[in-house]
Amino acid sequence: MEDVALECRDLAKAFGGVPVLKGVSLALRAGSVTALAGENGAGKSTMMKIASGQVKPDRGQVLVGGVPLPHGDPQAAHRHGVAIIPQELAPIMDMKVYENLFIGRELRTRAGLLDRRAMARKAREILDVFGVEIDPQATMRRLPVGLRQLVEIAKSTSGGAKVLLLDEPSSAISEREVERLYAVVRKLREQGVAMLYTTHKMEEIRALADRVVVLRDGGLVEDRPIDDITDDEIVHAMIGRELQDFFPELHPRGEEVALEVRGLHVSGYPSPVDLTVRRGEILGLAGLVGAGRTELLEAIFGVRRSTEGVITVAGKQVKRNSPADAITHGMALVPEDRKGAGAVLSMNVLDNGSLPRLSQFTLGGWLRQRNRTKKVGAAMESVKLRSRGLGQQVGTLSGGNQQKVVLARWLTGSVNVLLLDEPTRGVDVGARSEIYRIITELAASGMAVIMASSDMPEILSLSHRALVMRGGAVAGELTRDDLRSPDVQDTIFRLAAGLSRHKGPDSNAQPTALATKLATKEDGR
Amino acid sequence: MTTQESATRPAAWHLSWPWVRDQLIRHSMVVVMLLIIAYFSYRSARFGTLDNLQTIAIAAAPFALIALGQTLVILTGGIDLSVGSVIALSAMAAAATVKDHPERLWLSVLVAMLVGLAAGAINGFLVSKVNVPPFIATLGMLTTASGLAYVVGEGAPINGLPQNFGEIANNQIFGLQIPVIVMIVGIVALALIMKRTSYGMRVYAVGGNPVAAQIAGVKTTRILFSVYALSGLLAGLSGVMLASRVISGPPNLGEGYELDAIAAVVIGGASLLGGRGSILGTALGLFLIQTLNNGLDILVVPAYWQSVIKGALIVAAVTVDVWSAKRRV
Ligand SMILES: Nc1ncnc2c1ncn2[C@@H]1O[C@H](COP(=O)(O)OP(=O)(O)OP(=O)(O)O)[C@@H](O)[C@H]1O
Ligand SMILES: [Mg+2]
Repeated sequence: MEDVALECRDLAKAFGGVPVLKGVSLALRAGSVTALAGENGAGKSTMMKIASGQVKPDRGQVLVGGVPLPHGDPQAAHRHGVAIIPQELAPIMDMKVYENLFIGRELRTRAGLLDRRAMARKAREILDVFGVEIDPQATMRRLPVGLRQLVEIAKSTSGGAKVLLLDEPSSAISEREVERLYAVVRKLREQGVAMLYTTHKMEEIRALADRVVVLRDGGLVEDRPIDDITDDEIVHAMIGRELQDFFPELHPRGEEVALEVRGLHVSGYPSPVDLTVRRGEILGLAGLVGAGRTELLEAIFGVRRSTEGVITVAGKQVKRNSPADAITHGMALVPEDRKGAGAVLSMNVLDNGSLPRLSQFTLGGWLRQRNRTKKVGAAMESVKLRSRGLGQQVGTLSGGNQQKVVLARWLTGSVNVLLLDEPTRGVDVGARSEIYRIITELAASGMAVIMASSDMPEILSLSHRALVMRGGAVAGELTRDDLRSPDVQDTIFRLAAGLSRHKGPDSNAQPTALATKLATKEDGR
Repeated sequence: MTTQESATRPAAWHLSWPWVRDQLIRHSMVVVMLLIIAYFSYRSARFGTLDNLQTIAIAAAPFALIALGQTLVILTGGIDLSVGSVIALSAMAAAATVKDHPERLWLSVLVAMLVGLAAGAINGFLVSKVNVPPFIATLGMLTTASGLAYVVGEGAPINGLPQNFGEIANNQIFGLQIPVIVMIVGIVALALIMKRTSYGMRVYAVGGNPVAAQIAGVKTTRILFSVYALSGLLAGLSGVMLASRVISGPPNLGEGYELDAIAAVVIGGASLLGGRGSILGTALGLFLIQTLNNGLDILVVPAYWQSVIKGALIVAAVTVDVWSAKRRV
């Protein structure tokens, strides 16, 4: 127990006068996984950035093997064997896998030229240790996010990292890829790497961690071996209160049709889609990664091309391929990729909040400051946004709070149809139950909601009805009663993977291959 | 607003050293500017006079217009390399219109602006609709417009223009020359538009994240088109003012001006990746360059040394800005 690989002593950091970390001490032992839990904005990413030298602490020290690291020097941290897998990966997309693996420490032939053959061979060896099939000659861009992440992990550990900081590594990858990530993390633990692992998912903490530390409001409130703490205690430490009714009660749906989609041909998919959502109804969209859920939502909203079909909202036909017209008819889209597609990170909360309904906040083109400050402020208040004020740049908010901005900015006006794509990805438990509450309340107020999600409990507990998608088409429909039946997960999986109900369990290999293929396709866009 | 975090902001009048240091770093560009002004004032009695201020303003005016257009283009993440030769083309068009026809004075201004607008619209169409990279589209326009300027003049300058053509650049209103007034109005109007109108916000949004802007209902192609069209229009206006100043139409007018305009925008703190920058920053950057030109002229520094000093100072100014931006985190 005495071989401490990395130690943080009394780390403190404030941004613009606001304290984010208030003296946090923490030790990571070799060959162990420490889970770092905490609400959105608790300071988890900041902590990791300090440990890896990207951010300078105001106070405190980071020691590797007893040696203090110079502050704010990522190269020094790297030399001492501290590697970080950030929340947003930054591989070089147009280079090959083996090139990415050997960047900065290229192998050379005796003549001093690049020894590509040796690098490719060595790359295969490195990746084989992880037990994953990745072609070293593949271009990074063509790999699914999950595999890109493994390449990044392989890169840092094969470079001799003894401490690995993983910031929400599972938030951008599919369930199947998570299993592979687990295997890799366990393997690294055997090799004696010390790991700090941030996640918002309790299952992951249970599956991987030896120890849990919890940050709340910049302070360390819990640090215990995993076997000495219950799930409830972890959640309690995170949010400082008991969490009741994780999934709120569903209100009965209305009768009036809010959204009707007829024969919608989404560009790139062969078969047309029909669906109907009533006022007050939450329609879940399930399916494997690459099943075309995101594409369908985008096509309904008009940001992805559709070639044929009719979309009507409250009886009025909406122009296809025109997000502006969709918004006019009261549609709202909360996209999956909040940094890439949701928020304009360089703008502040107020401007992001005004953007979707600019015309409502202007008089002859001029912004009505008072009016929009009031409306946007109220919308952000309704989701309990934690920010330094409406003037804070959205890029400096924590991940979960960015998600709240992306959702709440629609609530400055009336919404008939709310399209949600993975609404709780990367969102902490407290905020997640809040987002569930917001979604059910919005539905209860008469909104129609379509929610695409890879989170099974979310689909099962939150939707009135669910569609399972495969290859861009609706493969099956599940009523509220179906969703309550005990074997529903199996049903969904079979529909999603395209298996008939009567096949034996030995056909399990098929969906894996299919899922991988689909995932590759999706991420290639 | 919503939670506890709003209480702890340092009051603005709190005059402690960290606060002063913070302000100095934040407004490093203004500090550099003041240092330069102080130096020139010390070296030359003429530099600080009102007369000289007007000289600087007159020299700045044609640059100001294209730098304003360039700011919007750069905010969207693009670049407009064609403004220099669009100046030449519109100046030639104005000169050809007004030659032997003094009564067409205002028509010539209109023609110059329309020519500029047309060139900008072509850029905008190529960038927003055809998805040609801005660098390529406007580089093409740079060459084309320059060639056309020579075509209009049949390979030579258009001289012998009516004397009243000179009034545009040289007449005064309230003691200020028309180009200076146009510049001031332009800066104030665009600064207001970018800060206070939905159009301005849309430009920032398209530059900051085009996908997110589109999902929020912003018609991104329209915004992109508009900034190039505006840049062209302002280049046209700049062209006719320059031609009026020399009462002729030289086909090489405005050559290389695009670089000074881009420099002004970048010195003003804009990011070439889009989404970050401001009109007032550009105005500041512009005056930094023009003050430098003027001061070095007064000190009779040889032209080639002026180039060297200017280049070095531009890099130094931006370095300070980048460094201070890092310090702020
Ligand atoms: N560069 C910055 N400037 C200003 N504030 C910042 C900056 N970076 C982070 N913050 C603030 O620091 C706080 C902690 O952020 P951090 O990213 O560490 O949270 P987190 O625990 O990782 O949250 P999440 O689970 O959402 O990723 C947040 O309130 C955030 O707004
Ligand atoms: Mg984080």
